[in-house]
Amino acid sequence: MKFTQNLNLNKRILLFIIPIVVILYAASGFTLYKFSTKRVMLVAQKEMDVLLNNLSETIQIVENQTESGFSNSDYQILKPLFNQRAYYKTDFPFLIDNSGRYLIHAFKEGQKVPSAILQQLKSTSNKQGVISYFDYKDGSKQDMFFYFKFVDQYKGYLGVSVNKDEIFESISQNKTMLIIIVIFASLIFLFAINYILKPIVSIINQVNAAVNSLASGKTTDKIDYQNNDEIGQIVNSMNNLIDSLKHKADFANEIGENHLDAEFINLGEQDLLGNSLINMRESLKLAKIEESKRKQEDETRNWATFGLAKFGDILRQNNDNLTKLADNVIQNLVSYLNANQGGLFIYNDENTENKHLELISAFAYNRKKFFEKRILLGEGLVGTCAVEKETIYLKEIPTEYIRITSGLGEAVPTSLLIVPLKLEDSIFGAIEIASFNEFKNNEIEFVEKVGESISSTLSSVKNSIRTNLLLEQSQQQREEMSAQEEEMRQNMEEMQATQEEMARKTIEMEGMTAAINEALLYCELGEDGSIYNPNNNILALLGSTRLETEGRNIVEFIHSEEKGVFQGLWSDVMNGNSSRSTMHWVNKNGIDLYIVVNISPALDDSGSIFKIYLLGQDVTESKLIELRAQKQAVELEESLLEIRVEQELNEQREDEMKALLQALDHTCLVSELEPSGLITYINNKNTEVLGSKKEEIEGKFIADLDYIAKNKPAEFKKFWDNLSSGKKQSREFSLTINDKEVWISEVYTPIINEHNQVTKIINIGFNISEIKQKEKEMSALVAELEILRKKK
Amino acid sequence: MVVTDQDLQYFVTALKNVTKYDFTEYSDKSLKRRLLKVLTDFNLDLSGLITNIKLDNCFAEKIVKEITVNTTELFRDPPVWHLLRSRVLPRFKNNKTINIWHAGCSTGQEVYSMMILLNEMDMLDRAKIFATDINTDVLDTSKRGVYKYRFNIGYLDNFDKVIKQNPLNFEEYNEVPYEKYFDIDKLKDTITIKKFLTDKPIFRKHDLVKDGNLFFAKFDLILCRNVIIYFNYNLQNKVFELFSSNLYPKGCLLLGMHETILGPWANKFEKIGQAYVKK
Repeated sequence: MKFTQNLNLNKRILLFIIPIVVILYAASGFTLYKFSTKRVMLVAQKEMDVLLNNLSETIQIVENQTESGFSNSDYQILKPLFNQRAYYKTDFPFLIDNSGRYLIHAFKEGQKVPSAILQQLKSTSNKQGVISYFDYKDGSKQDMFFYFKFVDQYKGYLGVSVNKDEIFESISQNKTMLIIIVIFASLIFLFAINYILKPIVSIINQVNAAVNSLASGKTTDKIDYQNNDEIGQIVNSMNNLIDSLKHKADFANEIGENHLDAEFINLGEQDLLGNSLINMRESLKLAKIEESKRKQEDETRNWATFGLAKFGDILRQNNDNLTKLADNVIQNLVSYLNANQGGLFIYNDENTENKHLELISAFAYNRKKFFEKRILLGEGLVGTCAVEKETIYLKEIPTEYIRITSGLGEAVPTSLLIVPLKLEDSIFGAIEIASFNEFKNNEIEFVEKVGESISSTLSSVKNSIRTNLLLEQSQQQREEMSAQEEEMRQNMEEMQATQEEMARKTIEMEGMTAAINEALLYCELGEDGSIYNPNNNILALLGSTRLETEGRNIVEFIHSEEKGVFQGLWSDVMNGNSSRSTMHWVNKNGIDLYIVVNISPALDDSGSIFKIYLLGQDVTESKLIELRAQKQAVELEESLLEIRVEQELNEQREDEMKALLQALDHTCLVSELEPSGLITYINNKNTEVLGSKKEEIEGKFIADLDYIAKNKPAEFKKFWDNLSSGKKQSREFSLTINDKEVWISEVYTPIINEHNQVTKIINIGFNISEIKQKEKEMSALVAELEILRKKK
Repeated sequence: MVVTDQDLQYFVTALKNVTKYDFTEYSDKSLKRRLLKVLTDFNLDLSGLITNIKLDNCFAEKIVKEITVNTTELFRDPPVWHLLRSRVLPRFKNNKTINIWHAGCSTGQEVYSMMILLNEMDMLDRAKIFATDINTDVLDTSKRGVYKYRFNIGYLDNFDKVIKQNPLNFEEYNEVPYEKYFDIDKLKDTITIKKFLTDKPIFRKHDLVKDGNLFFAKFDLILCRNVIIYFNYNLQNKVFELFSSNLYPKGCLLLGMHETILGPWANKFEKIGQAYVKK
């Protein structure tokens, strides 16, 4: 039972013992009670059996005396017997027949027995016995016993009913007594047990507490218990255990505090914990030694690992600028190695003819040094290192090799390390580090490893620089290409435009040449004057064929008198000027020709002649005219005197003429007309004769005023047409003015210019009615006037 | 893709309407090729190009720059420079000032060549240099005076031929170091004209089609090389008229190697080698 596990021992014992005691007492009481009940029952049975048997015997006697079967006599005889109580207050015997009807009963005759009894009676085969039943009397239930005995004579039953309580009345008094005894005995037992258990439980509790605190790792005090009994022994062992644990704990503490040499006596060979502690101490001692060894190794490894990581970072950060990269690397490397001076050389193979190692960064005492150094492969230690691709480590340095200079002085370093920068057998440079300390192996290895990283970075930096360069170049080239392409296209365009322009010019020139060929004389001349490419005009003029002419010297065609003139002209041409002159030529047939000649040299850029053109025009006719005119001029000069005389005469005549004209103006009718018929002038005589005013006539057309034009248009038209074509016309007509018939004779003279055009018409008329007789004289005068005009 | 006459007309009209540039009298064939080039470069069709021109003035300006051709080099066509040295510039030897106009100076090499030659002839201090172009980009390049070295190495040959050697006298050799006029940086691939040269010229944007004479001065020498080849006959004559009227008598006009004056203005000039001298 679970809850009992948590109870302490004392309570548990009590809890178990008390019920056991109670149950034992109760069981014995109960047995006792049962036993006495049974005995009471048996006593009652015996008594009832005696009673019934006595009655049965009586009945047998009575029957024998009376008729068989139950009869009234029987009743009479037997009745008094049944009315007596035998042993108890209620045990009246009675007789019932087979159907259960009371034959004889003290006060229930004629009634029937309870059906419960009758059923039990019928079901049992016993002829004598007891039946237990409940009777309800006066409203309460009563536990009853029914004792019976079969009566052969009457085929009925002899019975007696007794109340159970009445039978057990004596026993119930004993029962109360018994219960009191049981309780009392139990209490005594309880006290006794408590008295024995309490001290034992207390010690056990102490031991328990000690063990508990040991179990939870606490130390505890010793337990005080004087008795040397079993418990005392337990307590003793317990105390020993506590002591030993304390001791070991102290020892373990000492070890814990790393006092591995603390004193410890173990409890014997069998002392498991003690031995273990000692073993532990030994192995801790061993571990301590191992640890310090490993620590040293770790430090070295960490130094290298950390260093590699650090340089990895440096190499990653600055891999676009070689100088900065080198500066960072060498500065950090020198300080990481606690060295004093370092330099980084880069292998420069850009120029295949001058491959060298170039010092691109140097540091001493954490300061950058600016100096340039170039080392050829194989030259000096660095050069050698680069060629052999092996690390060089010197502990004895030639005194002049290197000096470490500080602010305080200078000294030769004690060790020098030169590590090649190589990657897969190709060299990228070298690192040189000098120090006052000797380099340890692991430091040299470290520098070599860093060298590999640097090499790999240098390789990629070089590559990326090269790639960028190429990229830039190609970009630039592309741009240049497109610019160049555009330029080419423009050049093309210019060329094409030029060609077109030239073609246009050529066409123009061809047209011009054709025109020249048609109109002018044309040929080309060699520098000696020989003729090439004469055109047809010149051939026709010279009267010879192309074959005959070509190649001949132009001088041959020039009139001998003019050859000198031509030479002068020619030398002018040869000086690069074009010259023009009218020259006298003689053609093949000996005919004189006069030609206006223009000879032009064509000059090239340097000003020298490469072609000579001759253009000419035949002016023979006009020249001949000119010559004739010249001849006439001579003649004229001869007759100049004569002419002068004549001129004087003429002047004189002109004066006369003027007078005459004045006279004419007074006597004749004069008018001037334009070819259109417009009257531009009319003299006073005319208006006088016509009786009109000057303004009425001037500015009018003759066709609108003329008498004939009005009356005989056909005649006028003919007259005017003739006049317009330049023929002089005369007419006579009469008209009536102021009732007077006037005869007028008119002569219309057209004035004709050199182009045969009529510019003016002069009309001179006469009043013939008065001076008809002078008509002849007048016309003669007009003729003379005409001649004079011409001469003028 | 083919550019038809009509396409060209649309394009020229659009430019004329939107910008102040008039390409009407440019040479058709050349302009067609340039238009085709622009269409290809910008990956546009004609209507797209014209739409862009109408929408965006800057774009139109850019197209004009793309269309113009800017070919030039230092001492281009050395014979011309020999002519200048031996027969043209000596004519102005006694002038108090020498006005020179580079019409269509492009990226300025011709301007600097001229100034170097003038300096060698001790005439630079008397010279006034005017340089114009229609394209402001190339004018900027001109003002900077920085050129690519690598694909202009030929410049130095020309320099040698013009400045150091004399074709009329092969024994003559003038040692003139390049450093006198240039800073050559082979790494940066640049030829940089010295500052005393780049400071002197007056650079202006100028359109030969319509801008006339910008400088209120007449000129002793006008250089307009390889420009009129892009013009048609009419425009050429207009330009000749402009030059003729702005040259001093006896002033010189220098055209490109293959450019000549034909037509009415030919009479106004006398030819000395490649150069035209105003009568």
